[in-house]
Amino acid sequence: MDAGCSPHDLAGFVPSAVECHGQVVENRCVAKDTWIMRLFCPELAREITPGQFFMVRDPRVTDPMLGRPFALLDVWKDANGNVAGVDFGYVVVGKMTSLMATWPVGDDCVLWGPLGNGFPVSDVDRLCLVAGGIGVTPFLAVTNEVLGAQKYGNSNRIGSSRAKSVSLCYGARSEDYLMCVDRFRAIGVKIHISTDDGSCGQKGFVTDTLRELISSDDCPQSIYCCGPEPMMQAVSELAAESHIPCWLSLETPMACGFGICFSCVTRVRMDDGSTDYRRTCVEGPVFRAEKLCFS
Amino acid sequence: MADLTVELNRLKLRNPILVASGTFGYAKEATAFVDFSQLGGIIPKTVTLLPREGNPPPRTVETSCGLLNSIGLDNDGIDTFIEKHVDYLTSLDCPIIANVAGHNAEEFVVLAEKLNAFPQLAGVELNMSCPNVSGGVDFATNPDMTHAVISAVRKKCKLPIIAKLTPNVTNIVEIAAAAAEGGADAVTLINTLMGVAIDWRRRKPILGNVFGGLSGPAIKPVALRIVCQVAKAVDVPIIGVGGIQNLNDVMEFLVAGASAVQIGTASFYSPGLASRLPAELSDLLDSEGAASVSDIVCTLQYPEATPVACAAE
Ligand SMILES: Cc1cc2nc3c(=O)[nH]c(=O)nc-3n(C[C@H](O)[C@H](O)[C@H](O)COP(=O)(O)OP(=O)(O)OC[C@H]3O[C@@H](n4cnc5c(N)ncnc54)[C@H](O)[C@@H]3O)c2cc1C
Ligand SMILES: Cc1cc2nc3c(=O)[nH]c(=O)nc-3n(C[C@H](O)[C@H](O)[C@H](O)COP(=O)(O)O)c2cc1C
Ligand code: FES
Repeated sequence: MDAGCSPHDLAGFVPSAVECHGQVVENRCVAKDTWIMRLFCPELAREITPGQFFMVRDPRVTDPMLGRPFALLDVWKDANGNVAGVDFGYVVVGKMTSLMATWPVGDDCVLWGPLGNGFPVSDVDRLCLVAGGIGVTPFLAVTNEVLGAQKYGNSNRIGSSRAKSVSLCYGARSEDYLMCVDRFRAIGVKIHISTDDGSCGQKGFVTDTLRELISSDDCPQSIYCCGPEPMMQAVSELAAESHIPCWLSLETPMACGFGICFSCVTRVRMDDGSTDYRRTCVEGPVFRAEKLCFS
Repeated sequence: MADLTVELNRLKLRNPILVASGTFGYAKEATAFVDFSQLGGIIPKTVTLLPREGNPPPRTVETSCGLLNSIGLDNDGIDTFIEKHVDYLTSLDCPIIANVAGHNAEEFVVLAEKLNAFPQLAGVELNMSCPNVSGGVDFATNPDMTHAVISAVRKKCKLPIIAKLTPNVTNIVEIAAAAAEGGADAVTLINTLMGVAIDWRRRKPILGNVFGGLSGPAIKPVALRIVCQVAKAVDVPIIGVGGIQNLNDVMEFLVAGASAVQIGTASFYSPGLASRLPAELSDLLDSEGAASVSDIVCTLQYPEATPVACAAE
């Protein structure tokens, strides 16, 4: 970022973001209420990195009116091996996601991104990803990068593929909601599943499987976490107790996604000990856990 | 090519498409999407004398064809604004109109005096109407206070002055008249309409601050009505704002009586819209055979015998 004209240090400000059309190439239900959409949008896809997001909107309607934020699941390539677009996963929860589930192949939408800071490039041997529900989506790209299966972003990105071990502690309501488990397994991730009802993996919370992992030989050196806020709070407490650096990706509701509306704020601890509301879209969505004040 | 320049008393703009305060951050955030050199003007987020943390989240909620917000004037105060933003903003190839809000006439004067040191600013917009500041400071609900604030600022500040008024009043015409009388170069109509969104299952309001201001396409008819009323009754240039999301909306405001317009909420969901509109407007004026924007302004033809309720009620 060009210093001097920087209002603050906006870690998630992306000067190379674009506003573009996305054409639906695929849109299919992969788990209960859970869909994966594939869009053709090469300019955006060439820039985006793991943990970043983009806004999606239907330009034909004003109800819903605003774009909605979605995290990158993965980029996809055309027959010539060129990056052609993005895949993202979504859960049908409200107005926009219900509409999205009806979009046929060939439909156009508008999107803008990439947005936000994304997860830091990991430089540790043992990385643990902790996901609650749809919070699992950003971790496929994170894993692909750290295990050297796929590169992301433009040529300026210095990725890292040095992880020797990636574990995923993945919690969901029940087996029906799990997504992408085979894809994680195929690239060599060690998966620890927990469900609220015990229909798959361990009955209980991700913090149970994470606690076991921490006390094993495979104890992670960094934790990346994304999911519902109470879960992220519990994970950040566990990480703090165990002195493991932990990053959280917030899912704060957003109106613009790029810093102009000030609606996506979260309370952040400042260096001088005070706290302030900060915009998650341009200062996050990924924060060091100890920076956040949970409500 | 049609002439896009507009003159609102001392405020001269290269085209009538501005971006509205509070809906464009401090401009830098929009760098990726907006060609600033196309805009008629940028109005950054409202600045207050002292820093304000703003309201607790959730700060916005989408409603039918609209957005309800209670940001609460989250800003770092005028001194930080001057230190961190003014140089950057005025370095852009675009007129910058600072927007300020005070708790009383004295605060407005102090704010305006500080900005007076920056002649590179194109003007100052006085936000006399933000419904989100608890304590209910709403100068623009009272014509005498409106007059007092504007005339006090005019004495201490050489920059062109715009008064941004609230629609949450019984008689906007008398307030706009007071603003003009007090020395405003133009009035901006309108700020958001007070509203509330409710989650009935939880028996709770959705916004952290309970009430908020409604914006977006849902309010366009109200904004247009107010522009019509003021244009008919008061001799003051109008900047129209409220729900504009395409060129047709711009034209409706111009025809209704606005000399310029601001794009607000639409920038949230159509990031590059504002910088595309001036070229579109130019093309449309050409195809309409209009030599300049001013040929369009205030050309609404009212049916003869209809009382449009344009005068003070
Ligand atoms: C950075 C970021 C990344 C994200 N990535 C993903 C992702 O990859 N996949 C994904 O599925 N989601 C993701 N999300 C969340 C996603 O953006 C939301 O689920 C989506 O915006 C929902 O849109 P909607 O219109 O369907 O829901 P809305 O209609 O906007 O509703 C959203 C939620 O609010 C509730 N709600 C709506 N209206 C009301 C009301 N009047 N009163 C009370 N409650 C109400 C709904 O029940 C629902 O739970 C992400 C969010 C962020 C910030
Ligand atoms: C999120 C949000 C924040 C706003 N903040 C300000 C502000 O700080 N100062 C101000 O004068 N107006 C503010 N406004 C009002 C807008 O400038 C504009 O008057 C209003 O939204 C109507 O226009 P629109 O429908 O095009 O958005 C805000 C509006 C929104 C939606
Ligand atoms: S969503 Fe608008 S500022 Fe973050």
